[in-house]
Amino acid sequence: MPIVSVLFALAVGAIFILASGHDPISAYIDLFRGAFGTPYDITETLIQTIPLILAGLSVAVAFRTGLFNIGAESQLLVGAVAAGAVGARFGFLPGPILFPMVLVAGIGAGAAWAAIAGYLKAARGVNEVITTIMQNYIVVFVIHWLLQNGPMTAPNALGTPASAPIGDGAVLPIIIPNELVPLTRLHAGIFLAILAVVVFWFVLWRTPLGYELRAVGLGPRAAAQAGIDPRSRTVIAMAIAGGFAGLAGMIQVTGVFHRVFDGFSAGYGFDAIAVALLGKNSPIGVVLAALLFGAFARGGSIMQANAGVSAQLVSVIEAIVLFVIAAELIVRIIARRRGPKPLEAIA
Amino acid sequence: MTWEQLIGAGVLAAMLRLATPIALAALGGVIAERSGVVNIALEGCMLVGAFFGVVAADRTHSVVVALVVAMAAGVVLAGVHAVAAIHLRSDQIVSGMALNILALGLTSFLDYQFYGSTGTPADLAAVPDVEIAPLAAVPFIGDVIGHQNAIVWLTVVLVVLIQVFLFRTVPGLRLRAVGEHPRAAETVGIAVRRTRYWAVLASGLLAALGGAYLSLSVAHSFTDGMTGGRGFIGLAAMIFGRWTPIGALVASLVFGYGTALSFSLQGASIGDVRVPVQLLSTLPYVLTILAVAGFVGRSRAPAADGIPYETEGH
Repeated sequence: MPIVSVLFALAVGAIFILASGHDPISAYIDLFRGAFGTPYDITETLIQTIPLILAGLSVAVAFRTGLFNIGAESQLLVGAVAAGAVGARFGFLPGPILFPMVLVAGIGAGAAWAAIAGYLKAARGVNEVITTIMQNYIVVFVIHWLLQNGPMTAPNALGTPASAPIGDGAVLPIIIPNELVPLTRLHAGIFLAILAVVVFWFVLWRTPLGYELRAVGLGPRAAAQAGIDPRSRTVIAMAIAGGFAGLAGMIQVTGVFHRVFDGFSAGYGFDAIAVALLGKNSPIGVVLAALLFGAFARGGSIMQANAGVSAQLVSVIEAIVLFVIAAELIVRIIARRRGPKPLEAIA
Repeated sequence: MTWEQLIGAGVLAAMLRLATPIALAALGGVIAERSGVVNIALEGCMLVGAFFGVVAADRTHSVVVALVVAMAAGVVLAGVHAVAAIHLRSDQIVSGMALNILALGLTSFLDYQFYGSTGTPADLAAVPDVEIAPLAAVPFIGDVIGHQNAIVWLTVVLVVLIQVFLFRTVPGLRLRAVGEHPRAAETVGIAVRRTRYWAVLASGLLAALGGAYLSLSVAHSFTDGMTGGRGFIGLAAMIFGRWTPIGALVASLVFGYGTALSFSLQGASIGDVRVPVQLLSTLPYVLTILAVAGFVGRSRAPAADGIPYETEGH
């Protein structure tokens, strides 16, 4: 079914390309070549995929607990800011000390920020969708302040407000030798992303906590009957979700940009919603969906340059994928209307 | 920092300008949620309104046609949400997010295809300002409301009309009943789904008008993603205003004032400390979270808000 929704979205996208006076076949070939044409393109696609995997896990772990985390974007940014601040402030420290500090700062900040939404839901009954949407905007403006005339403002040559660079000890190494793939930027963050996928799988399906989270996701009342307090699990689930997103931000800082700047995230936290839904909130599914959207992100810009078709086509395709998935949920809900468990379709 | 920067006529006039698109989105939110449908696609409705308004203004050179096209675009997008939310009973948040992404992608895509990288034409038909001649000469007041845009005034009128409609008319009462207790409403013969359809379509129309205001009254152009989250601030204003039109307007004014301050206090200092103007812009969002959490008053959504309605016997 996920493949069908992607194919359908590509077909609708083709109509758009056709309607705008271009050749869809050649545009899609450019898209594919842009993403996978050369080893360098593949590494660029993977660089896009890494934050999508982590932000996707963030949304997925919340979904599994019956929560809708629209705040992965701001959790990612908070993680990036914390990592960037610690990485620059303690930049003089050697890597073995500095890197763990930066890692903990990124994950911890994302987790704490997301836990606020979990707490407000658990303690005051506030819908996490509202809180996380609001949090997304709060962070955007706080970062404007931090970078434009706040404590993280630093002189730079980027032409956009940015923080001071992090210390060398916090920088993730490039993992492919320059002789093999010239100029590649693919960094060791990919291993952290893979590790995060394993942690996601292990925690959710191999620990009592994961069982409890999924139980709450399938039915908070039944879970409560079984002695699982949905409220504390809500806070924990959001904290884990924020941790994954914070790690994504931390990796973008330490692996790609080495500092924080205005407009830091390319909307990974929003694409993550499509990633999680398309990937059915499963570990492999999230990886594959992230790879798909990573390829779209990389290939889209090449397609725009070569075929003259706006890279925004990718957002159109993404939205249609989301919509088809929503429709698929509907079909399943209708199909089993007489049966139980409509919630599972979402969770 | 001076008084002029805090409550000068320029700041208050800017407050009204900045509050208008937020208030229109919030009005849309009030109508939709009072009927029991959460429409977070308001942001997308604003964006298609802004874009298609510009396209129509460019092609027809008529403001009236441009506004009609803009609102029609919003109605179409909201219509998709309505079918998904009401008829298909899909997750309203997923549907709304999908439509927001679609609106952003579609308008940016078409913007690039229609206008390339040069941007929209400079000579777009614009929504006129309303010069209130007797007032324009009055100091202060004239500067604040003497020459505001027509849509600013239209918004004020709409707020009053919708407030009266919701709380002083029978159809308004029915709409609220559908949002509070659809089963009971249906029992007394109210068509729950039809009411919700109308409400969601109206919300798209209002939000799109707010978007058209941004592109045809303020910016006189379209840029990708130009609504910049105002649809979401509108939702915040709706919540902070406790799901009433007048409350939403007041909240929109508070939020607009915060943004106006962040402009007028640019570079201002208190003693040696530069005013962190960007933090003022977080005001709408912080206040909304506090309001929903019950720390600032108590803001309660309609009881059946966001819950799909299934007729008996299905």
